[in-house]
Amino acid sequence: MSGLIDRINRYFAVVAAVLVLLSCLISAGNAASRYALSISSNAWLEIQWQMFSGIFLLGAPYVLKLNEHVRVDIIYGGRSDRTKLWIDVFGIIFFLFPATAMMAYMGYGFFETSFVRGEMSSNAGGLPLWPVKAILPLGFALLFLQGISELIKRIAALQGDERMAVSYEKPLQ
Amino acid sequence: MLEYGYMAPAMFAGLVVFMLIGFPVAFSLAALGLTFGFIAIEVGYFDLSFMQAMPYRVFGIMSNDLLLSIPFFTFMGVILERSGLAEDLLEGVGQAFGSVPGGLAYAVIFVGAILGAITGTVAASVIAMGMISLPIMLKYGYDMKIGTGVIAASGTITQVIPPSLVLIILADQLGVPVGDMYLGAFGPSLLQVALFTAFIFLVATFQPHKVPALPPEARTLHGWALASKVAWGMIPSLVLIFLVLGTIFMGLATPTEAGAMGAVGAMVLAVLHRRFSTALLWSAMDQTMRITAMVLFILIGATVFSLVFQGVNGGRWIEHLLSGIPGGQLGFLIFVNVFIFFLAFFLDFFEIVFIVVPMLVPAAEALDINLVWFGVLLCVNMQTSFMHPPFGFALFYLRGIAPPEVKSRDIYLGSIPWIGLQLILVAVLIFWPESVTYWLGQEVVLDAATVGSTLDAIPMPELDMPTLDLGN
Repeated sequence: MSGLIDRINRYFAVVAAVLVLLSCLISAGNAASRYALSISSNAWLEIQWQMFSGIFLLGAPYVLKLNEHVRVDIIYGGRSDRTKLWIDVFGIIFFLFPATAMMAYMGYGFFETSFVRGEMSSNAGGLPLWPVKAILPLGFALLFLQGISELIKRIAALQGDERMAVSYEKPLQ
Repeated sequence: MLEYGYMAPAMFAGLVVFMLIGFPVAFSLAALGLTFGFIAIEVGYFDLSFMQAMPYRVFGIMSNDLLLSIPFFTFMGVILERSGLAEDLLEGVGQAFGSVPGGLAYAVIFVGAILGAITGTVAASVIAMGMISLPIMLKYGYDMKIGTGVIAASGTITQVIPPSLVLIILADQLGVPVGDMYLGAFGPSLLQVALFTAFIFLVATFQPHKVPALPPEARTLHGWALASKVAWGMIPSLVLIFLVLGTIFMGLATPTEAGAMGAVGAMVLAVLHRRFSTALLWSAMDQTMRITAMVLFILIGATVFSLVFQGVNGGRWIEHLLSGIPGGQLGFLIFVNVFIFFLAFFLDFFEIVFIVVPMLVPAAEALDINLVWFGVLLCVNMQTSFMHPPFGFALFYLRGIAPPEVKSRDIYLGSIPWIGLQLILVAVLIFWPESVTYWLGQEVVLDAATVGSTLDAIPMPELDMPTLDLGN
C-alpha cells in the first residue's frame, strides 16, 4: 500500500520535473518570438502558468515523501527519533488529513463548476480552464494519499517493524 | 486589546503553538486556518460562502505570472551551481587579488556579489566559495574567524542583490512591481559590498597577520594566462547578468521571461564549459521542482491562514496594535526591524514574508511608508537570518564543507562582526531612504511606460474573488 502510493507519486513528480524544463523553454521562446518575429500567442502564454501549477501541485506529494517541507525545528530538532515520529503521526492525522481533504473537496467543486460550463480563458485564443482547475483537487488528493503512506511508515517504525530515517535537514535555499 | 474580538488574538497564539510543534509549516498553517474558519462560522464572523473563496485564492497563486519566475530563477541557479562557474570565477579573481593582504577575502566578496547577481541561492554561493577558498586560507594562515565569516557573509549578499527570490516574493506580498524592487535593492547591495570591503581593509591595515597576502608560489598564473582565466569566468557571467537584469530594467522582458532566458543562458553556458550532461539537467529539474513545491505550499498554507485571519478582523487588530507604537514612521520601522531580527533567529524568510509581512502592510501604508523602501529594508534585515549562530543556514552549510581543522566555534564567532555590518546597513537604510529610492526615481518613468505595454500582453485569468473588507 505504502509502496504503491510512493510509486504513484514518484511518477507525478517526474511529470512535475519535466514541466520545469518545458515551461522554461516555452517562456524563453515566447519572449524571443515576440521580439524576433513579433508573434505572440495567448495560448502559449497561458500554458506557462498552467504548467507552473502542475510543477508545485504534482510535485508536493513527493516533497512530502522526501521530508522536505519546511519545519520550524527549534524544538523539533532536539527531540528523539521516537518523539519525532509521534509528532509526525499527530501532524498527519490532525493537520495534513483535514487540510488536504478540505482543499481537495472544495477544489473539486471549483473544478466541477468550470467543467460543466466548459469554461474557456477570456483571452483571445486562450486555452480551456477546466483542465488546469482539475490539477487543484488532484494535487491535494495525491497529498492526502501520500499522507496515508507516510502514516503507515511511521506507525511501522514506532512498532519497530521497520527502521525509518527521521533526519530532517532544512532544504537548500 | 480585545476591541476586535478574541478570535484574532487566539488565532495568533494558535499560530505560535502550531508552528513550534515542528510539523511542516505549510500543513500546520492550512489546518490552523481551516479550524479557526469553522469556529468563526459557528461564532458568526462570516458564513460558509466566505470559506468557499479558498479555491479561488489557491487558483490566484497558480495563475500568478510573477510567482512563475520562482522555478525559472531557481532552475538557472541550480544549473550554474552545478556547472562550476563559481570555481572558475574564484580561481581567477583570487589570484588577481592575491598579492595584497586580505586579497583572498576581497576576492570572496566580489565573487559573492557576482554570483548573487546571477544565481540567487545562498547555499550555492557559500558551498562553492567555501570549498575553494577555505583550504587556501587555512594553508596560508588566515585567521579562521575572518575566513569563515567573509565566506558566509558574502554568500548572503545573494539575498539582496537582484534577481533574488526574496525580492520577488516580497514584491508579490507587498503588491509592488518586481522591477522597482530590483532597482531599489541595487543601491543597498552596492553599499553592502562597500561595507564588507571596508571591514576587510581595516583588518588588513591594523592586523595584517590575520589576512596575509598569498606568497608568490601560490600565484601560479601571471600576465595573459591570469587575464584569460579571469575573463573566462567574468565574461559569461556579465552576459548572463545583462540577459537577466538588463532586459528587465530596459523593459524588454518581464521578470518571468528574464528568468526563463537566464535559465536557457545557463544551459548554454554549461554546454560551453563542457560540463553539460543529461544527469546534470535532470538533477537540476528535480531540485527545482522540489524547491518550488516547498515554497509554494508555504504560500498556500499562509493564504488559507490569512484569509481566515483577515475574516476575523486580524488585520485591524494588528494595525491597531502597531498604531500604538510611538514615534510615527521611525518608531514603526525600528520596532518592525527589531521584531523581524529576532523572528529571523527561528523562522526562515519564506515564513516571515508569507505570514508576517501581509500583517504589516496595512500599517505601513497607513503611515505613508514607501513600500519598495520597506521591502528592501526587510530584505536586508532578513539577510541576518542566514548568519545567526547556531541555526543560520550559511553557517550550517559552511560547517558541512569546512575541513575538520576549522572549529565550529570559529564559524560562530566569526559571523558576529558581519551580523553587525548587516545591522549597520539596516540603520543606514532607515535613516537614508534615498539609498533605495534614488534609483527608482531615475528609471521609473521609462520602466512604467515600456514594461506596462509588455505586461498588457500577459493574460490575466478571470477571477471573481470576493472582496475583503480590510478596514482601511
